[in-house]
Amino acid sequence: MTSLSDIETKIEGAPEGVHVAPKTVDDVVRVLRWATESGTPVRVWGGGTRQKLGHPPTPGIVLSTGRLSDIEVWEPDDLTVVAGAGIGVDELESRLGEKSQTAVLPEHPGAATLGGVLATGRASLRRARLLGPRERVLEVTMVTGDGRVVRSGGRVVKNVSGFDLHRAAIGAFGSLGVIVQVCLKLWPVPRASATISNADPESVSRITRPLALLETNDAWQLFAWGTPTDIDEIVAKTEGEGRAGLHWPEDPRGSYRWLLRVPPGRTAEAALRVRPWRFLAIHGSGELRLASEDVEGATDLRGWAEDIGGSLVLVDHPGEDAPLDPWGSPPSTLDLQRRLIAEFDPARIVNPGRLPGGL
Amino acid sequence: MAAIAELRDLLGSDRVLDDPLERRLYSKDASLMRGDPVCVVFPGDAEQVSAIVRIAARHGLPVIPRGAGTGLTAGASPMTGGIVMSMTGMNTIEIDPDNQAAWVGPGVINLDLSKQARPYGLHFAPDPSSQSACTIGGNLANNSGGPHCLAEGSTTSHVLGLEFVTADGQIHEVGGLAPDQPGLDLRALLVGSEGTLGIATRILVRLLPIADDVRTLLLDFPSVEDAARTVSDVIAAGMVPAALEMMDQRMVMAVENWLGAGLPTDAAAVLLAEVVGSTATVESEASIIAEIGRSNHARNVVIAVESEDRELLWKGRKSAFGAIAQLAPDYYLHDTVVPRTRLVETMAGVYEIADRHDLTMLNVFHAGDGNLHPLIAFDSSDEDVARRVKLAGEEIVDLCLSVGGALSGEHGVGVEKRDLMPSSFSALDLDAQARIKDVFDPDHLLNPAKVLPQGSRCFDFGGVRREVPEGAWV
Repeated sequence: MTSLSDIETKIEGAPEGVHVAPKTVDDVVRVLRWATESGTPVRVWGGGTRQKLGHPPTPGIVLSTGRLSDIEVWEPDDLTVVAGAGIGVDELESRLGEKSQTAVLPEHPGAATLGGVLATGRASLRRARLLGPRERVLEVTMVTGDGRVVRSGGRVVKNVSGFDLHRAAIGAFGSLGVIVQVCLKLWPVPRASATISNADPESVSRITRPLALLETNDAWQLFAWGTPTDIDEIVAKTEGEGRAGLHWPEDPRGSYRWLLRVPPGRTAEAALRVRPWRFLAIHGSGELRLASEDVEGATDLRGWAEDIGGSLVLVDHPGEDAPLDPWGSPPSTLDLQRRLIAEFDPARIVNPGRLPGGL
Repeated sequence: MAAIAELRDLLGSDRVLDDPLERRLYSKDASLMRGDPVCVVFPGDAEQVSAIVRIAARHGLPVIPRGAGTGLTAGASPMTGGIVMSMTGMNTIEIDPDNQAAWVGPGVINLDLSKQARPYGLHFAPDPSSQSACTIGGNLANNSGGPHCLAEGSTTSHVLGLEFVTADGQIHEVGGLAPDQPGLDLRALLVGSEGTLGIATRILVRLLPIADDVRTLLLDFPSVEDAARTVSDVIAAGMVPAALEMMDQRMVMAVENWLGAGLPTDAAAVLLAEVVGSTATVESEASIIAEIGRSNHARNVVIAVESEDRELLWKGRKSAFGAIAQLAPDYYLHDTVVPRTRLVETMAGVYEIADRHDLTMLNVFHAGDGNLHPLIAFDSSDEDVARRVKLAGEEIVDLCLSVGGALSGEHGVGVEKRDLMPSSFSALDLDAQARIKDVFDPDHLLNPAKVLPQGSRCFDFGGVRREVPEGAWV
C-alpha cells in the first residue's frame, strides 16, 4: 500500500479500512491498476448517500472522488458545464443557479456528488418533462477497472460519433469505469415558476407537459416554469393555490426506502397500491419513491411491478444485509452485461457484485 | 451460391433478390460510396432475422441492415459485400396511448408514425429532413436528430426499449415502458451503433403530446453574425425553443428559386424559430424572440400562426437539399457540431475553405444545437473538383474539431468518417469502443468495417485474461 499512502484519507461514514482520495485522474489510474493487480475490491464513494443500494459491497478499499471536484469549464452560452465527479450536487446546482441555469440533477441531494448520482442513476423530480438521468450527460471520462482513462461523447449538445458509452455508464455503479469527469447538458431556468397546491385534479390533467406533477400520501402538487404570463395562466386554469418558486418535496423517510418503477400510465394505480407506505409519485414518468418501516408486502408489490414490466428496488435498509434481493429478478441480458463488464473491469474490482444478478 | 439457396428456403424466392440490377439498387445508400452485395433479403419478423444471421454466419457473409437508404455516411452501403438486409417489410405500428409510447417495426417510416399517432394527440419528436422516407430503424441506428431535437433530444432520448438480434442469432430485449430498468443500460449502446452491434427488430418509442399551440418565426438578417448572436441571446434569455434553424443567402436563393416559399433572397441569413406550448406561452415567447432578433438588426420578422403558413416555412427548410439539384448533379453534405459560442467564427472559416478550393457552398443548419451542415454542390464526373470537395471536407472537419466540436451531430460515422475517429478520440477511447463491438459481434459479421477504424482494438492493459502483452499494438 505504500504507493498509495500520499492519497490516503479518512472518509466519514465509510467502513473501517483503507480509504483513498485521489487528487488527479492519474491517481485514480494508479489506485485501480494496483487494485486489479492485487485483486482488491474497490468501493467507490461520492457523498455516501446510496451505499446501501444494491447487493452488499465486498470488503476492500474505499475510493473517494471528493477531491476531483473542480468546475473545469462552464460555458453558459453553450449550456454546458464540465465538472469533476466529486463536486457536490448542491454546490454545482447553486453555482449554475447564479446564471439561471440547471443541470436537472436530484432536487434534495444531501451530500450526494455528481459522480454518485450518475453512477447510481438517481433521477430528478422533473424527469417527466426533462427526462431521466441518462439525458444529463454529454461526455463522460472514466477510469476502467484495469486503469485505462476512457472518454466517450463530446462537449457539444449533439453528437453521434461512436457508441454512447457515456450513457451506458449511468446507473452502472462504476462497472464500466469510475466516473471522474463529466460534461453536462444544462437548461436555462425560466424567469417565472410556481408550485401549485390543492389544484383541481381534473384541470391539472389538462395542463400539457408541466414541469412536474407530484403526488404524495396526502397532497398533489403541480410545478410549472415559463414566462410570467404562462405561470399566471396555469395557476388560473388549475384553480389551485400558487406559490412563487419551486418548492420540491423531500423523498419519503422510513427505515426502508424503495424505488418503484412502472409504465408511466400505471403511476396512479401504483400510488393506490403502495398505500399505506409513504410515497412520492412522479406522474408521467412511472417512478415512485417509497418508504416503509418493514418489508411486509414488498414481495407482492415486486411481483405486481415485474409482471407489468417494472421493478421494485430496495434503496436503503437499517441492517447490514438486505432482507430480500435488493434488485429483484435479474435482467434477461445478464450474459451480455457480464461480458461487457469483463472488457472494462477484467479483475472485477470496482463495486463487485453490487449490480443485479450479482454482477 | 449455397447461402442464397438457404435464404430462399427460409424466406421464399420473392424475398431474396440477387439479379445484377437489384443488387445494384441496393449497392449504396444516399452517400457517394458503393459496394456490391451478394443478395438483398427482406425478413418479416425477428425469427427470420435471427435465421438469416445464422445462415450468414455459417457462410462467413457479413449482414448489412438497411432502412430506407437515406443515410449519408455509407452506413448501409455493403462495402464488404455480404447480405443487405432490408428492414422495410417489418413495419407494424402499435400505439399505446396510455403510456404515450408505441412499439414499431424498424421499417416504419418516421412520418407515418407521427401520422398514426396524431389521432391520439401524440407525435414522434425526432424529425430528420428525410422523415417522409427514412425509417425508425434507421433513425435508431444513426441516433438521428432533426430540427426539433433542440428541445426534445435526438432519437436516443425517445427510444424506451428494443428487441434486437445479435451476431449469434440470439433475440434479446432491453429497456421497456418502466423507466431505469435495473442493470446496465444496453439500449444506450445499441442506439446510434449503426447496425454494428445488433439488428433492431422491434422498437419501443416515446411519443410526446402534440403542443396546444405553435408559432413559427422567420427572421431575416443583414449578416450571419447577427443571426448567430440572436441564437445565443434567445438561449441566454432562458428559452429553449422547439427549433432554431439557419439558412444562408445562397441556400435561401436555391430554395426560393425552386419552391417559392416567400423567403427573403436578399438577406445574408434567415433564422427559423419555433415555439410550442399554450397560446399564452407561444405568444409571449414569440414576441421575446422577435424582440431579440430586432435588437440584433433583424430587418423583418414574420410570425406564422396558421398551420398552412407554418408548413410552408418548414417546407422551405426541409426541402433545402432537394433544391440543390438545380445547381449541380451532386452534393456533399457535411455534418459536424461546434459549441454554439463558436458558431460565428466557424462559419467564417467554413466559407473561407470553400472559397479557397473554389467550390460552391451553401449552408442550412441546426443553429440552436451548433450542428452545421455545410453543403458543397458539385459535379462528381470532374475528378479535380471531386478531389477538392474531399479536401475541403477534411478541412471543415478539422476546423470544427479544433474549436472543440464533434465529428457528427446526427448523420453518423459509417464509412465516411470512420478513419477520422482518431482525430476525435484517443487510442484508449477507440479501444474501449472496439471492445463493445467485440462483445456483441466477435466475428465482425454485422455491418463490418463501419464506425471504428481498423486496428481500434490496440491496447491491452492489466494482463488479466489477456493474451496480448501490455501496450502491444495489434
